[in-house]
Amino acid sequence: MSMAFENSDDAVAYWVARIDAGDLTPEETARWQMWLDEDPSHRGKLLRTQAIWMSLSQTEDQAAPEDEAPVRAPLWQRRSFLGGAAAAGLAAVGGAYFLLDRDQTFSTRKGEVRRVPLIDGSAMTMNSDTGVSVRMERNRRMVSLARGEAWFEVAKDPARPFVVNAGNMVTRAVGTAFSVRRHENAVEVMVTEGVVETWSPDRADQRLRLKAGQRVVATDSAIIHYRPSQSEQVERALAWRTGEIDLAGNTLADAAEEFNRYNTRQLLIADPEISGEQIAGVFRMNDPMGFAEAVKASLDLKVDISDPTVIRLERKTR
Amino acid sequence: MANTELERHLRMSLWVAKEILPHESRIRGWFRRNRISPEDTDELLQEAYCRLATIDAFEAIASPPAYFFSIARNLLAKKLRRPQVVSIESFSEIDSTIQFDNDDMEDAAHLRHASAKLRGLIAGLPDRCRRIVELRKIEGWSQKEIASHLGITEKAVEKQVWLGVRAIREAWERKARPGNMAAERLERVVP
Repeated sequence: MSMAFENSDDAVAYWVARIDAGDLTPEETARWQMWLDEDPSHRGKLLRTQAIWMSLSQTEDQAAPEDEAPVRAPLWQRRSFLGGAAAAGLAAVGGAYFLLDRDQTFSTRKGEVRRVPLIDGSAMTMNSDTGVSVRMERNRRMVSLARGEAWFEVAKDPARPFVVNAGNMVTRAVGTAFSVRRHENAVEVMVTEGVVETWSPDRADQRLRLKAGQRVVATDSAIIHYRPSQSEQVERALAWRTGEIDLAGNTLADAAEEFNRYNTRQLLIADPEISGEQIAGVFRMNDPMGFAEAVKASLDLKVDISDPTVIRLERKTR
Repeated sequence: MANTELERHLRMSLWVAKEILPHESRIRGWFRRNRISPEDTDELLQEAYCRLATIDAFEAIASPPAYFFSIARNLLAKKLRRPQVVSIESFSEIDSTIQFDNDDMEDAAHLRHASAKLRGLIAGLPDRCRRIVELRKIEGWSQKEIASHLGITEKAVEKQVWLGVRAIREAWERKARPGNMAAERLERVVP
């Protein structure tokens, strides 16, 4: 059956009123979805009109659907309620249905690297200071990276693509392994296995396919820099998964920044002249002091540890 | 799956109501200052809402108004690249951003302001419609409760809500264009 409305604005208002009644039958819901798909403008118009209608009653929490999802960051600040493994275990024991369609959030503190098995058989390894929410839907697996970096080993399930949203980037995989990292003004995707597809929601028609060993960086201005790279480099950039920082000719400044991601005691390069020096080697990420000692010897530097919060590196005064 | 979609729609609408709607007038102001016509602005914002509606992880967006604004601005840039309306040079002269304060107090003020503005619009509704919208939105009654209270059918209540939604949206759009006083007056004169 079709509804006759003079224009789409009337149809939009009809659906807002109908949804407001709160008793849509499954048939009507299906009809609603058909209407949404009929014209790309319908979703936008409905969203805005529904929001205007909801604003009318916004005395704080009223009008919220039962369990309102977090609107802002605070959730990330909370430590995840259970270890990931425990959560997944719980889910397996019959809570699976309960967890379907519900966001689970996970976070790590600075210096913490954690591997979290997901309910679908995938696994996610979270880097230091990372916030992720996961939502398993019947036709797709949705992950949002609020901050930080995570590496995903995706269990194969062609019927349910695995989609990671981070900033201005969407990355989709079916069964593969890849990492997504949020930088200050950019998002970086690296593929370690298989193929993923990545795009910006603003330009959903321009999709990029990445194969193992490739990486892409998208900045906030939505310009995509495509940098083919050696898979060896990708593996090296993901050394954090085993608690290591793997440097191959990175500058001292980059290396310091990397260590500072994981440690509260910060490396400080006090001498701009040495910040461009290149470093190679594998270091333990939680041992900035060991790193400082190593470069002290090889670059002939002075290490000042008089301040307990800082490790200061500078050139030896002769 | 269907319910999930509906639940998501409601969650996102609430998010738009809180995070974006209160900033709409400032965003319009930016387009106005850059000499984009109100019609073009409407079209751009409408399209920006369409883009927004397709974003899955909307809750993870750090600064929703800034994000929304950047979508609208990209759409404008795209539009200007086509041989229409304005030349490219004029776009490069457009100053690039509006400051969106991260200050919660500021946001709360915008939100209150927008809510107050919207509530003011209820007063302008025809009597029967206004009564029902007030019961629904201010008293927080369900459509069903209103129907039994007024002794009318639920469909009748829904019809009034439909009229209310339409009228409020139109009034909100009219208010969004301060330059349109003349048009508003004209509409009042012509029945």
